[in-house]
Formats: sequence, C-alpha cells, structure tokens
Amino acid sequence: MSLTGRTGLTSEWSDPKPARVEFGEWLELFDRVPDELIERYHYYSNGEAWSKYLFPPQTFAIYGARHLRRLKYDNSLAALRMWGFVQNETERLFRARQAGRRVIATMGDLGAVPVIVNSFPGCVAFYPDCIWWTPFAMESQVLFDAAAELGIGDATCFSRAALGAFAKHSYFPDPDLVIASTGASCDDYSGVEQLAEQFAREMLWVEMPMRCGMGPIEPMRRVLVEEYKRVVAAMARLTSHELTDDELRSGIRRANAVRKTVARLRELAYGGGVLAALEMMVVEFGNLHHYSDITEWTAVLEHLLATAEERAAKGERVVGEAALRVVWVTPPADPLLLTYIEDAGARVVGTEYVINQALQMIDESRPPLDAIAESFMAASLIGTSQSRAETVIRQARERQAEGVIISGILGGSHCAMEARLISDIVKQELDLPVLEFDVAPPSNEIGRQLQTRIDAFLEVLRSRR
Amino acid sequence: MELIPRATFEQIRRERVEEIVAARRQGAKVVGYFCIYAPVEVVQAAGAIPVRLMRGGHAAEETGERYLRSDACSFCNACMGNFELDPVYKQVDAVVGVNTCDMMRRLPEAIARHFGVPVFQLYMPRTSEPLPHRVAEFRRQLDRLADELAKLTTNAIVEERLESDIAAFNQLRAMLRQASDTRHANSPLLSGGTMLDLAATAWLLGPVKAVSLIEEVLRIVAARPRLETGRPRLMLGGSMLTEDDRWLLDMVEEKADIVTDILCTGTRWFVEDVPADGAPLDRLTRFYFSRPCMHRRPNTDLYEYAQALVREFRVQGLVYKTLLYCDPWNFETRRLQGTLGIPMLHLDTDYSTENREQVRTRVEAFLETL
Repeated sequence: MSLTGRTGLTSEWSDPKPARVEFGEWLELFDRVPDELIERYHYYSNGEAWSKYLFPPQTFAIYGARHLRRLKYDNSLAALRMWGFVQNETERLFRARQAGRRVIATMGDLGAVPVIVNSFPGCVAFYPDCIWWTPFAMESQVLFDAAAELGIGDATCFSRAALGAFAKHSYFPDPDLVIASTGASCDDYSGVEQLAEQFAREMLWVEMPMRCGMGPIEPMRRVLVEEYKRVVAAMARLTSHELTDDELRSGIRRANAVRKTVARLRELAYGGGVLAALEMMVVEFGNLHHYSDITEWTAVLEHLLATAEERAAKGERVVGEAALRVVWVTPPADPLLLTYIEDAGARVVGTEYVINQALQMIDESRPPLDAIAESFMAASLIGTSQSRAETVIRQARERQAEGVIISGILGGSHCAMEARLISDIVKQELDLPVLEFDVAPPSNEIGRQLQTRIDAFLEVLRSRR
Repeated sequence: MELIPRATFEQIRRERVEEIVAARRQGAKVVGYFCIYAPVEVVQAAGAIPVRLMRGGHAAEETGERYLRSDACSFCNACMGNFELDPVYKQVDAVVGVNTCDMMRRLPEAIARHFGVPVFQLYMPRTSEPLPHRVAEFRRQLDRLADELAKLTTNAIVEERLESDIAAFNQLRAMLRQASDTRHANSPLLSGGTMLDLAATAWLLGPVKAVSLIEEVLRIVAARPRLETGRPRLMLGGSMLTEDDRWLLDMVEEKADIVTDILCTGTRWFVEDVPADGAPLDRLTRFYFSRPCMHRRPNTDLYEYAQALVREFRVQGLVYKTLLYCDPWNFETRRLQGTLGIPMLHLDTDYSTENREQVRTRVEAFLETL
C-alpha cells in the first residue's frame, strides 16, 4: 500500500501482495523498509533515538524470543510495525520509569482499570498477566520455575509466569502501585496476585462482583463503581493529582478509539480474512492495556486498519476464502497453534478469549466511572459458562462457523469447570463439531498427538461440507 | 480404642437420611450447601432442612468426571458424582452456592444443568476488607436468598424464627467448640477423627439433635480417664476434608494427636458465634463476611487464625492435605509453612485409594521427625 494517505507518511512504500510469511522472509521485507520510516515510529511520542521500535524480528529473537522463528506473519508494514511495538514493551516500561513516569501494575480484571490509570497524567498501566506469553515466546521455563519456587507448580494456568516475573525484577520495573482485581475471577490468577503481594510496594485489592448472583446486576455494578472510586483515590494519593471528570472522559475516549478500531479490524479479519489470526490475537489483547502506550498503539492500529481496509477494497485476503471457518474459545497460549491451524487450511472467524469486557465500547454519555463499570459487567470472566457459550454461538452463527475449538490449560480453574459445559451447549445449539484440548507447556513444536487431533478435526469439518 | 465407634456415626447418619426422606414425603424441602459461608440459619428459618454436602470419595469423583474435566478439583467432581450416588445428595431440592473459589462458584451451574436442581448463587465478596459497599451488597444478597428460600418452601421468613435459629446454631457452635477445646489437654481423649465425624454428623442432624449428641460425647469424655502419652500434637489444614478422608486422620492418629485444625469442615465453622447485637440479617451478614478462608484476598485473617491456634494448642506440626487442582490452598503451602514455622507434611492427592500406603510411609516419616 502507499503510505501517503491517512497515516501521513511521505515515503513511498508498497506492501507486497498479502501473504503470511516466515521469519526469514520477514527479515528480507524489513531490509526494504526505508530508513525514514524506521526513524518515524517512536513510543511515548518521544522523538529521541532510544524510543524507536521498528526493529527487524531478529532483534527480538536474539534477545530471547526464539519462538518468533517458527511463526508466520502478515507481510504488511503495519504488521511489521505492530510486532516491533509489541515486542518492545519490556524496554518501554523500563524507559517509562527512567523518564519519570509512574508504572502501575493492573492485574486480574483485564481491561477496565487501565482506563482509569491511563487518565492520570504521567502514568503507565500494564498487565503482568500478559507475561503468560513470554515463556512461549522464549521457549523457556525460567519464569515457571521462579513461580514454582514460590509455591505455584505446573498444574496451573500459564499466567503463573507473572509471579515469576515479579520475583525476577527484570521483565518490568517494580511497579509504583499494584492494583489487584479479584472476586469473581479465576483461582489461578487470584493466587498469583496473593503471592505477588510480597513483591509489591503497595497493593490495592479491588473486588470484581459476580454477574450470575441472585437478582439484577445493577447493584453489582454499583459495587464496582465504589471499587473504582478507591482506584481513583489510590492513584490520587500516589500522584498527588486530583483526577478531573474531563481527564477521565478523555481517557475513556482514547480507550474507545482503540476499541472502535479493533471492532472494525475484527469485522474485516474475521469476516473478510484480510488479517490472520495471530496478528488478530495480538490486536485483541492490545485492548487490555494498549501495550503500555495508548497513543502509539492507537497509531499502530490505525495503520493496521488502513492496510486491512485497502485489502478489503481490493478484494485481497491473507487467508483463503475456502478455508474452514472456526471460532476459537480461550486464547491459545501458544501462538504456534494459530499459525498451525491456518497452515492446515482453516481460519478463525470469531473468538472468545475471556477478554470481551475490553472489546465493549464505554458509554461516553454516562458518568465516567459508571460507564466503565457498565462495560466491565459484560465480562466473560464474571459470568456463567452459559453466557460464554452464547457469545460463541452468536459469532458462530454470524460467520457460519463450521467448528469450534476450545483450547484450555491443564489446571486452569475456569477451563476445568467451563470447557465441557461450553462444549455441550454449543453442540446442542449448533450441532457443530467441537475440539477441546489443553495447550502444552512451551516448546519449539506442537506435539504430534495434538497435531493429529487438529488434523482429524479439520478433516471432519471438511467432510461435512 | 476409639471414643465413639465410627459405626455409631454411620448408624446415626442412616437414621437421619430416613427421617429426611420421610420429611420430604410430608412436603419438606431439603437445601444443600457446601461451605462455611452458607447462612444455614436463613435456610432453616425458611422451614427447609439444611444439609451440608461434604462427601468426597473415589467412586463419586470418577462419576463426576463425566460432567467436569478431570482437572476440576476432586471435591467438585465428587459433588457431581454424589448427586448420582449419595443418598443425602439425592434428597436435595435446591442448592445454596457461594462465590468462594472459582471452581465452587462455577459448580452450581453444572449441578443445575446436569441434575436440574435449582441453585441459589450467593455472591460474597472475595476481598476481605469489610468496606461498607461490599458488606451492603452481601447483605442484599442475604435478602435475596431469604426471598428465594421463602418461595421454595412457601414459608415467609419471620424475624422471631430467624432469631431462634440463630440461637440454635450458635448453641451448636458453642457445643462443637467445647468438644474441640477438650483437645487443649495433653493427650486428649477426643481424636481429630471423632471431631470430624461429630461435626459432619451435626451438619446433617441439625442443631437440636446434634447438641444432644455432642453433650453425650462430652459426658463420655469427662468420665474416661486420660493417659499421658507424650504423642506429637498436630494441626490439620488444607482443602475441605470430608468424612471420606477419615482414613488419613486414623492413619495420623495411630502415632500422634490431632488437636486442632484450620479446616472449613472443622473449627472455622464453629470458632465464633453469630454476634448478638443488631437485626438478625445484619448480624448474619457481619458474621459470614468475616469468616477467614484461604481464598479471601488478602487472606491475612486466615494466617492470623492459624498462628493463634498453633500457640493456643501448642501445635508441633501441620498435616496439610490439599486436593489436586485446589489452587487456593495449594498455592499457599510454602508461604504457610514459612509463616507458621512448624514442620509441615503436605499431601496433595485426589480421592483415589491406591496411594494410601505411600501416604502412610510419608506420614510415618513425618511423625518420626517430630
């Protein structure tokens, strides 16, 4: 594509014909990127050399993200930029501390508290939870071993890596404040939070009410509003800044801009196949905390959206139209799985990654904390399996999905309780094949048994056509 | 020799099940509950028969795996299985679930779906600091529960009845406390196993009959001479221990005395009474909100409770049994050992029976170190 239009670039750059490329091809692609573009992208709106992030993938692989060598990537500049930005997050957080920003760990709620934190001037919210991906990217057990030394062993959600990261003090700066949301949450992560408290300078516990209690949900929402007031008060104490309604509204608008862009990307990718599942997982998870820099993440997403819309307009796709259509439930901890399933002739047309609260728009006409609470009350995490199943069913119907994949984690509390229920409900409602499996620990390949199961599942889908 | 033979408790249990069956024929409703946060007083005040659902068992666990994954905690799987297998579970007309750990929060949905048993899901904040809005929401939940139970039984809950049931359950708590406190003595007569049986039977019998039973047990204890044995004094802890875990207690008590516990099926249910001041539902709200448990955040109260018991009961070691995939208790193992500063035997198992000799070896080795 030509980057002279909505992204405001002056350099000419033409994306190659859309495709998923391997690591080596990605490097070749990078060699063609003009220096002017490399110089152009900076995080924290900072023009200095240290804040550049458009590096070749090899940079991140050399620094430990070995898994990158095994994945396939969208070959657009926008995707290249996205990967550079996302991979750069650890550096970015340490830079934030150096630059005098407050670094706030938000844990457990996946999507709401960062909207408040980011509304405070000079504050950066991040999710230690998202470190779950790091052992896979690194193909390493280091963080899991560190968690095990503190008491959380193997038969637990991969999010235990966050505890290891707290103990190591090198994956993110020691946070100025830890805001730990718990309540109607998974046990694994609530346990991680409890043990992480020993590393926290200050920890604020936030209650997340349950949506499936008796009676209407409005009182639960009011509980959440009171909890958010505590977040605002704690942040005010930390920063000596009284947050105004205008600042919070502005924070909501920025979060909504991201959410709106992601909603459009979901339509284009899951509806039209213009982006692959791997990039879309990264995009969806960006709604949680915007990879610690909402301004630049917004720009990255707009770039990606421009690419996606141009492809849609030209009728170009990155995954084939004839690919088998599946809805994916619960994030695959291992990005290799998303790569594999697309290689095997399927494409993801819907997701239920337990982060749907971060995909909801926040009502800008309502009092800000009420509106944030309202959007959070839609969270999969705090509701029933029935409600998650309905989300899956709705998307499956909308996109004429041919199958549903539920990937779980051995010992993950909600996986253990929900997977079979969701599977039963989906089968009963839609008469679709459902494949359920557990994601294996970090490795440089997908286990043969799992590969066979995925292949057999896709065969079944093909035979039903 | 055992103070009260196990068979006696089993006989009492069978007779009680027959009574419950007969009561149901007369129109009574049976309401099952799982944990210490279920307000039994409200259930009983609605005219229902509260029964604590606290059976484990290997067969039940295996049966339950037809409904849940095998990495659901063993207790949850056993619960599902026991709805098919256990005579008490089969009598249940409704279940009161509480938002405690994630698995227990989700269990009622599976029960409702697979067995058609109505569930009343009580939301109790997981955060332990009693902030006004949290306590107020829990209070509202108790109101809703009272309404739902009244609909089930067609009996409106009146304040006098609720007061009377609070008093009855407080008396039961006091009696269980009294029984448990006999273990302050060196070489106590009342074993940990008998204490577990006593509590489990009490939750099935209801307060009036249970108090009579405990009085009788206390009379036996008072009449029996006590011999100083110098055996190690132990505390029990970990995930829910059920009647089906009695074998472990027997095994430990071959060579040691279990003098106290931090179990939800033990002292944590009866350590305190529902307070006396205020309106009944307000008192119940304050009482249940403040129960310590490992799943609460932060769980400082539970740690303080454990430390106090170690001092008060001169505890020399902790037998800590967790169920496979029980995250709230499993994760805290190391931290608890470090905090209490006493030797700990950690057993992480399901309800299978094949590993008992291995467990025996570990128990004996642990006791030798004390």
